[in-house]
Amino acid sequence: MIGFWRGLWLIASIELRQRVRGVAWYVLLGVFVLLLLIVTVLLGITFALTDSAAAEAGVADDSSSAGPAIFSTIIYFALLLGTLVAPALSGNAINGDRDSGTLATTQVTLITTAQLVLGKFLAAWLTALAFLGVAVPFLLVAQILGGVPGSTIGVSILVLAAELGIVSAIGVGLSGIIRRPLFSVVVTYLIVAALSVGTLIGFSLGGIVLQTRVNVPASSYDDGSGTCQVEAGYTMSAPGFDKVWWMLAANPYVVLADAVPTHFNGNEPDDLFGFIKVGVRSAQLPIDPASYSYDDCGTPRNNDRPTSRDIIDRTVPSWFVGLLLQLVVAAALLLGATRLTRAPSGRLAAGSRIA
Amino acid sequence: MSEQEPVRGISVTGLARSFGAVPAVRDVSFEAAPGKITALVGPNGSGKTTLLLMLATLLVPDRGTIRIDGRDPVTQSREVRAVMGWMPDVLGSWQALTVRSTLELTGRLYALSKPAAAARAAELIHTVDLVELAERPTRVLSRGQKQRLSLARSLVHNPSVLLLDEPAAGLDPGARIALRDLLRRLAGEGRTILLASHVLAELEEVADDAVFLEAGATVDGARIAAARSQARGWRIRTLDPAALTAALAREKASAEPTSDPAETVVTLADEAAAAKLLARLVKAGVPVSAFAPSVGDLEQTFLDLGSEGSR
Repeated sequence: MIGFWRGLWLIASIELRQRVRGVAWYVLLGVFVLLLLIVTVLLGITFALTDSAAAEAGVADDSSSAGPAIFSTIIYFALLLGTLVAPALSGNAINGDRDSGTLATTQVTLITTAQLVLGKFLAAWLTALAFLGVAVPFLLVAQILGGVPGSTIGVSILVLAAELGIVSAIGVGLSGIIRRPLFSVVVTYLIVAALSVGTLIGFSLGGIVLQTRVNVPASSYDDGSGTCQVEAGYTMSAPGFDKVWWMLAANPYVVLADAVPTHFNGNEPDDLFGFIKVGVRSAQLPIDPASYSYDDCGTPRNNDRPTSRDIIDRTVPSWFVGLLLQLVVAAALLLGATRLTRAPSGRLAAGSRIA
Repeated sequence: MSEQEPVRGISVTGLARSFGAVPAVRDVSFEAAPGKITALVGPNGSGKTTLLLMLATLLVPDRGTIRIDGRDPVTQSREVRAVMGWMPDVLGSWQALTVRSTLELTGRLYALSKPAAAARAAELIHTVDLVELAERPTRVLSRGQKQRLSLARSLVHNPSVLLLDEPAAGLDPGARIALRDLLRRLAGEGRTILLASHVLAELEEVADDAVFLEAGATVDGARIAAARSQARGWRIRTLDPAALTAALAREKASAEPTSDPAETVVTLADEAAAAKLLARLVKAGVPVSAFAPSVGDLEQTFLDLGSEGSR
């Protein structure tokens, strides 16, 4: 019997040693670093220009800083690249070994199937985390520019790591369930796309389908009497986003934005996480008919439009639900892969080889 | 055969396994004794590889029992894996890893400590003659070299039962002889070796026993004995073809000319008849330079079984 963690790490290290020797892998990381460099420099220039413009206008604001904005953009970039690359790195972990004839020779050793599957998952995760690793210098630049709160750094990195782990687990799981490597990689991509883009499409379509009728008050100005008349108003259709907002909960970008504690610059968030969070959270609020109202009289509105801070305070966080849902899917796929890869195996598709 | 006192070697009874509606192994029973090399003989598609996969704890049989050193590969797969070495017919290797690290890591997968795995790897690299290639990645190996690596990998944990699927495929004559000597030595150490191949000449040289597979079933001993006792061809080579033809005509032997005028194949009932004919040819002054069975024992049996089956 080989210790569980020792065996798991052994499998992971074999996996990593195979990957790390590939040139393609370093090229990919190099391209990623280049993209991060471009993004950081462009954002830095943009913020420097706005800051100097603000300074000239005499409205310089110490609390406004490029730090949080650059930091959150880099994290999002790492999430984007990570979720784009992780399926390719993990989606053929098990069936690829089967094709190259190294799965069965590993299975006849004292390694258990759980060690095999989890070891491959660990290797895929660590490989995806390399994207976070090479982003660290850029995150440090953002930190040096100042104004990035510790909670933002901690939570965003943790959630990013979790999201990369989930995508890796889905890939490794599917590679043990689907026999053809190409197909399992494609299905992994489809799941990532469903979470990242599919939730957005579902949200938009759902909002349009579940339209609600709202009664919009209106007032008109009577030129003759010079008075303002409040009319009965009219009904119109408004998208029912408040009924489908939960769909966005499983979106990795939303999970990340929603999880990070928002820090405000005045009443507005100071980073990309915060802006996305406000956008998503405001979908929870029911339609406010007043926002559609037509006022001919130009009476000053009582300024009750909720600020970003109000919206975040009045709505519920959903990131842990989304994260939990993703974790359940990932764990189920890993479990399924473990069951189907177990040897000696009972079922086997006709004509397929196990060795 | 009690569970308390495990019987060494391989014992298979009434084994069957089908893939969907296709039966790959229908009814296989045999014993392979420790200290001996048992050949598993059968044409392509006779179920050799499926049988080996079941023995190697990778596939569950539909019916029948297997005991490897007294243990069941299905319910005691871990115990079986600890004593069993398997060399598959597919030459898979970790492409980017060197020969040495492949063997070291395999050793560690068999729970050897780091130094023990390193020592074992060094020893096996020497055994299978891959010393010059030890630090090269396995993807640069030729087919024969991969074959030797695969053999070394199956030996890493010093198994008492060896399952080898076509081990000599792709080996050059030198490596083939080295393999034969190695297998003899391993068997001499008391290991059970099951050797599957359809290259019969290769098996002929090393096998102590043979199990014949035909359409997923073992051929029973009586039929093998019958096939073995059948008349068979003997190849006679001479310096004087005319004298040989004349002598054979006098002996009323059923002779068949071959493409080589110096050689003739004569069908003889048994070895006694062969010895008698040779003595008479020599006495008659025919210059005989070679006198031997035209095909090997296994091959002859195999061919006879085949022709019997098709009849």
